[in-house]
Amino acid sequence: MVSRDFFKNLRNFRNNTVFARRSRNIVMGGACLIALCISGQAQAAPAGCQALQAKYPALKGKTLVNAINPHTPGYEAIDPKDPNKYVGFDIDLGEQIGECLGFKLTYKAVTFAALLTTLSSGQADIVISDIYATEERAKAADFITYSKVFDGVLVAKDNPKKIDGINLSMCGAAAAENTGFVEVPLVQALIPQCKAAGKPEPTLQLYENNANCIQAILAGRADTYVNDVNTVDQAVKANPDKLEKAIAVTIPYSVGIAVPKNKPEFRDAVLAALIEVQKAGIHMDLLKKWDLDVNNFKEPDILSVN
Amino acid sequence: MSLFAHYLSLPYLIEGIWFTVVVTALGLAGGLILGLVLAAMQLSRFSVLAAFARGYTVIFRGTPLILQMVFAYDALPQIGLKLSAIGAAGLALAANEAPFIAEMLRAGVLGIDRGQILAGQALGMTPALLMRRIIAPQAIRMMIPAFGNETVSALKNSSLASVISVQELTLRSTQLASSTFDFFSIFFASGLIYLGLTSAVSVIQLFVERALDLDRTTPQGRLAIFLPWRRVDLPATLKLAEQTSALAGPSQSPPPDLPAPPSRPTSRSDRAKHAAIVERNNVAVEVTDLRKNYGAQTVLHGLGLTVRVGEVVALLGPSGSGKSTLLRCINHLENWDSGMVRVGGRRLGHRDDGKPLSPRAIANERASVGVGMVFQQFNLFSHLTARENVAGPLRWVHGMTRVDADRRARELLERVGLSHRADALPRHLSGGQQQRVAIARALAPNPSVLLLDEPTSALDPELVNEVLEVIRRLAIDDGLTMIISTHQIRFADEVADRVAFLSGGSIIEEGPAHEILTNPRHSATARFLSVMEADKAPENTA
Repeated sequence: MVSRDFFKNLRNFRNNTVFARRSRNIVMGGACLIALCISGQAQAAPAGCQALQAKYPALKGKTLVNAINPHTPGYEAIDPKDPNKYVGFDIDLGEQIGECLGFKLTYKAVTFAALLTTLSSGQADIVISDIYATEERAKAADFITYSKVFDGVLVAKDNPKKIDGINLSMCGAAAAENTGFVEVPLVQALIPQCKAAGKPEPTLQLYENNANCIQAILAGRADTYVNDVNTVDQAVKANPDKLEKAIAVTIPYSVGIAVPKNKPEFRDAVLAALIEVQKAGIHMDLLKKWDLDVNNFKEPDILSVN
Repeated sequence: MSLFAHYLSLPYLIEGIWFTVVVTALGLAGGLILGLVLAAMQLSRFSVLAAFARGYTVIFRGTPLILQMVFAYDALPQIGLKLSAIGAAGLALAANEAPFIAEMLRAGVLGIDRGQILAGQALGMTPALLMRRIIAPQAIRMMIPAFGNETVSALKNSSLASVISVQELTLRSTQLASSTFDFFSIFFASGLIYLGLTSAVSVIQLFVERALDLDRTTPQGRLAIFLPWRRVDLPATLKLAEQTSALAGPSQSPPPDLPAPPSRPTSRSDRAKHAAIVERNNVAVEVTDLRKNYGAQTVLHGLGLTVRVGEVVALLGPSGSGKSTLLRCINHLENWDSGMVRVGGRRLGHRDDGKPLSPRAIANERASVGVGMVFQQFNLFSHLTARENVAGPLRWVHGMTRVDADRRARELLERVGLSHRADALPRHLSGGQQQRVAIARALAPNPSVLLLDEPTSALDPELVNEVLEVIRRLAIDDGLTMIISTHQIRFADEVADRVAFLSGGSIIEEGPAHEILTNPRHSATARFLSVMEADKAPENTA
């Protein structure tokens, strides 16, 4: 009950922040400050957030830069109705964490492969962009994991090559992938397996974003595109007579929020805030709001390697 | 595709144009500044600067722009230089454009005819003045098409800024395509917007080309007067325009020649008298034991020559005998290895510590010593009218006011019979007319000595006489001190007091003109004269 009321408030808050962001585009500065005050008062953050703001006072009132690759509708993409806004689950989750700790977010759109570079060069403070936390990537940034991964296999309508996963059915097929995606090495690992089975090797086509990968299938250049199941569903929804989802596969990774390695305190603050947001039920509500499978929900962990 | 028009007018994309234009403008402006520096370094006399500039060019022309963008955005912050996305994109584009723009500038500067630069130097113009008044105005005209190209290419290259999060047109298009799945409508729309932008650049380029076209007299062509080097006072322009139009009709047919030459008292006895008087005058030019080598080849071999005020000396001799080099040394257009050159009692040459003078110091020396020079190829400044060719250097080098300089130019052009062509560009003048303007230009600062380097050799036979007539009158009516290198034996006989015959970098025979020319003592002189006599047919020996 408490949590539902809270979610209502949350909607209010979102409307306020949306208003704040739009007005900032029109009247910089002053309007922004006013909006800050309004949103600060109108919204009671989850109970534990007060304590967190007291514990991490340096973040309060700050505006941080969130680097995103806004080509994943449902997670992060521009709002087709108002292209000046970014919308999606990751955007909402990030703003909830910010709300809890008292900071606001602005967005910096970069290619997927540049997300962590942008973070480590200091051009961004945080990355919440449906990025899978892998050991390899954890060498460049610390991750706070928040979601399980289910991948979908996107194929042309009727699946002419009968692909049913990242397995021998992909031998000889052309797979489109985003540069830097974790699926790339998984497809590459198939090459020796296909050879051993006496089948032709799969080929990889690397693109800069989701849209280009999907176009590659629509244009008949690629046979399949393996990515987050929600992204695949969105693509099928947009082109129901040309595309279909062959199958969903589980991938042994989690999605994570990336923060700079040299800021453990910030990492801990984000982790603590995420726990608060989850405890308040907001995380689950957001999954529903964006039509995502609630099975994605994951209690947070930190992935940090040296 | 139905939404094509919708995307074309979508404010989100339209705003993206602004970022595209800002990045392009930053890239071009920065590239121009950096390109100017690079071009100046490459053209400089100091080889270290040139080498540095070449190294820069190799690196930034040889690596992809997309890497430079990422470098400026992600690597520079590591050394504490954190630019905004637009700043980083502008910087990378500027760094990438600079070598290309530098090469354009260099080609423009090197494309200017060497002769004009030599003529400017001879008039005492410093390197900076030459660059500003002679080279830049002409080079800029030549570079406009290339600059248009570069602008279009920079505009398209700005799309690479999308990789470093600049919200320009390409990034916005791809984001929009990702969220709407309406790939083709969006990319057609943004393609059309790019096409609109590049077309605008082309239109601007054509407009600027027309505006700077010197041959155009339409209102647009008049825009050229807003350029500093073209600004002329309007009353004078109008007055001269009237004069020109008044003369336009009749002047088409035979070129209105010089005012009828006065009957010349040029009998042999008069000339001998003149020579005798000159004999007692002060020394105007004194060359002692002048030596100069080009590498292993000796061009001047201990040459000595004395020319007195009012004297006309003709230098004769086969090609390569050192005539031109000697004249250039007298004007310090060339350095020499040893020996001495004095003009008007003043010694030309080196700094007190014995080191060579800087080009700037030599220019000032030239302007103050007062040696005029006329070249075989005329070397008029081709972007300036006949009058500006004469008046310009008076203003720039000698600080004369515009009114005075214009008056002086009018006088001199009248004296060489060209007042009706004062507003003509050199390329619209015949060779003979050009050489007469060149003589007027050389005379304008009232030089104490006039050097003429084969002034008629590049002229068609029928044009030789109009130039010789002008020179003849300078010698006889004005008593100007002149040193003329020429192949015109008869002319030398008529005009010169003295003839010096050069061979192998030294004077092998000199003396009263008529005596040497009719009765040479040295066998080489005799041989040369007989050869010239043999193909004497035309007045010209180009």
